[in-house]
Amino acid sequence: MTKWLPRTYLTLVYLLLYVPIVVLVVFSFNESRTGYAWGGLSLRWYESLFNNRAMVTAMWNSLWLALSAATVSTVIGALTALALHRYRFRGKKLLNGMLFVVMMSPEIVLAISLLALFLLVGLQLGYVSLLLAHVTFCLPFVVITVMARLSGFDESLPEAARDLGASDFTMTRTVLIPVIMPALLAGWLLGFTLSLDDVVVSTFVSGPSYEILPLRIYSMVRVGLKPEVNALGTLLLVFSLVMLMLSQWILIRSKR
Amino acid sequence: MHSIMQQPFKNAVLILVWGWLLFLVLAPNLLVVGASVMTRDPVSFLSLPLNLDAYRQLFDPLYLDVFLHSLYMAAMTTLVCLLIGYPFAWALSKVGKQRQLVLIFLLIVPFWTNSLVRTYALKLILATNGLLNSALMSIGLIDEPLQLLYTEGAVIIGLVYLLLPFMILPLYSVFEDLKQELLLASHDLGAGRLSTFVHVIVPLTLPGVLAGVMLVLLPAMGLFFVPDILGGSRNLLVGNVIKNQFLDARNWPFGAAASIVLTVTMAFLMFAHRLSKRRIGEEGA
Amino acid sequence: MKKLALAGLLAVGLTGCSSEEPQVLNLYNWSEYMPQEVLDRFTEETGIQVVYTTYDSNEAMYARLKLLDDSAAYDLAVPSTYYVSKMRQEDLLLPIDRSKIEGFDNLDPELVNLDIDPENQFSVPYLWGTTGLAVDTADIEGEPVTAWEDLWEDRFDGRVMLTNDMREVFHVGLRVLGYSGNSTNPDEIEAAYEKLAELMPSVRTFNSDAPRMPYLEGEADVGMIWNGEAVMGKDTMESLEYVYPEEGIIAWLDSFVIPKNAKNPEAAHQFISFVLQPEISALISEEIGYATPNLAARDLLPDEVANNRASYPNATDMINAEFQTDIGDDALQVYAKYWEMLKSGR
Repeated sequence: MTKWLPRTYLTLVYLLLYVPIVVLVVFSFNESRTGYAWGGLSLRWYESLFNNRAMVTAMWNSLWLALSAATVSTVIGALTALALHRYRFRGKKLLNGMLFVVMMSPEIVLAISLLALFLLVGLQLGYVSLLLAHVTFCLPFVVITVMARLSGFDESLPEAARDLGASDFTMTRTVLIPVIMPALLAGWLLGFTLSLDDVVVSTFVSGPSYEILPLRIYSMVRVGLKPEVNALGTLLLVFSLVMLMLSQWILIRSKR
Repeated sequence: MHSIMQQPFKNAVLILVWGWLLFLVLAPNLLVVGASVMTRDPVSFLSLPLNLDAYRQLFDPLYLDVFLHSLYMAAMTTLVCLLIGYPFAWALSKVGKQRQLVLIFLLIVPFWTNSLVRTYALKLILATNGLLNSALMSIGLIDEPLQLLYTEGAVIIGLVYLLLPFMILPLYSVFEDLKQELLLASHDLGAGRLSTFVHVIVPLTLPGVLAGVMLVLLPAMGLFFVPDILGGSRNLLVGNVIKNQFLDARNWPFGAAASIVLTVTMAFLMFAHRLSKRRIGEEGA
Repeated sequence: MKKLALAGLLAVGLTGCSSEEPQVLNLYNWSEYMPQEVLDRFTEETGIQVVYTTYDSNEAMYARLKLLDDSAAYDLAVPSTYYVSKMRQEDLLLPIDRSKIEGFDNLDPELVNLDIDPENQFSVPYLWGTTGLAVDTADIEGEPVTAWEDLWEDRFDGRVMLTNDMREVFHVGLRVLGYSGNSTNPDEIEAAYEKLAELMPSVRTFNSDAPRMPYLEGEADVGMIWNGEAVMGKDTMESLEYVYPEEGIIAWLDSFVIPKNAKNPEAAHQFISFVLQPEISALISEEIGYATPNLAARDLLPDEVANNRASYPNATDMINAEFQTDIGDDALQVYAKYWEMLKSGR
């Protein structure tokens, strides 16, 4: 069969996917304020970004939130994956199913249900409510990542370790943890990115005491064309590119 | 085989994760179900008596119209994603292994980039003075700028752009799993190319299609910021209605009922997905 | 190596938690409704950091304050006219301690002591303004636009912009039909809906975050705008004109209020006093184009601002002008229903 047709098609779709991103990056260096025309090369939007104190605060808040949400969800998610993998217990199928449902649930449904809960128990909307919400939607992704790794894992290894007299704890530490380490890192990075990107859930469960970046961006883009958004978007792109390459590198290296 | 020491560890983990899911997933969702059958209260959001008014309101022809329009846009989004994604995933599965890795990587890069910022970038392109209009005008295809932004089309384009990878990835994985032998066997039995496609490939890729539909259709009804940015606060999605009810109009029962519509849709799609998988399992056996 | 990473993580954690908390004022305000310079100068003077969070409608602000009821930490909000009375009556506000407010006497006597808040126990006027017609004269041909009614003309098909504000949009519909913009009569509201529904095919977008932007971006040529936005927009686009419609403009007064659960009412009082300084009030009016109720500030305004009819209407401009009033929750639900129909309609 002719090979050029599928190739042209693939190229075309990739082109469409990347045009907006390229536009964003190019325009972030545009001197002109009024939007669409090219006014010369400039770094002024990056400068104005970092001179905006509220923006910088939101950035740090978001990073801190993503860091903690990713860490907590990785710990809980990894433990859950281990339990699902190694133990038999009642309600195992239900647990699996529930995690799947959480993963599939539209974010907005999760958002309003959590809002209702937080209001009912009187939790102040802020860092803690955001953390609980973000961990909840990151959790299934971590479990799946770690489970995938564990299912490809040779069961005879821990048996051998135990036969050699290793205690369960030692076995977990010396055999299991190294094996799932790449999946932990990949899961952590995924959680980090999901948290950093989330608008829908955060809109509902954030309070004035803890402003985060996506909401800041949201109020900026609703106002209209803001060249600062281009600059910020470019920074986020570079940041997530680095994260993604890191996670791919970890996964690929671990497969060898 | 398991030592006694494990028991407390196992129990602790199970209590932790079950506790988390019960408290932060199940309980909140029950609250929403509860809210949907309560009465709107201007002061404390919700009050008794229990009734089904919120659901009746969903079927008020006026609101029904909103929902149908939202469903239509979500369905269009899903269809476009499928039409682009199906051949894409097929073509992708035919590329050499090494190159495939790179291509998959390139596919998920946008997914890892902030979705608001990407939506905003589309605005730069679609605006009246935007890049697309400037380009078309400079090559003389049009004299007057096209009105692209703030239309139904712009919302669909935005949703497709954000959600396409979610359609492609499950499709790609079923194409990868497609048993080459089955295709060969079908050929040997004298089936033509079209017949192979209709009778073999389509049914076998159905679970992938449904997984993709599920991953696209549901968010396409909920991503309220897309109509906000690209739709000119018109062309509302169910997500916008829910958000307005909770954060503007303060009609919680109605907002909760609307969100249950989404949950029910999800349940339906999951059921269909399971069914299709089971059928293939039987045929394969 | 692992230990190093752990230590690093811990260090981040510590700096994340231990940095000394400076005083913070959580200001909940309309978007683009306060120059950054004012916030910076306030911080410079008092050391209190201002966290500026925005909303795009009174409904959103009110709903959020109610939602956050017990946990809210907003120290200052800026509701429009009738929302002051609504929030006051629902006991959502802290009384303002007049002894801590300097410069209250500078305020225009006509804009204090209103029905919405007799004696101003709960509110201090911030800015007042109008919602009128915006016209991009460069892109409009034919007769000049003089009335809300003109928006319905065929020549503006697909070029009309409305504010994303339920009450304001219905105000226009009601006035065109000759009713009051504060109607609570369901039949009148429905009639206004029918009228507005005829306009919908022409409507390109709704915008209350920055109503000037669709005009500047070339997406709309004619429609609704707030006067301050029109003034700001004219700075970038000379052809953007502000027109007082014949049926009458919509007038409003936005006031500072301190929500009941404010964490830092002290700072809120300080901020109000800071804004009431004539020099600061003048700066605000000059920068964002709305009218200051501060008479002492008006004397400081440069002539081109003080004589700008868009910012400071004269008596003839205010003929038929109507202030928005509280219409009660039942009527609001009627509006809300038609509003959603309107916005979802094709």
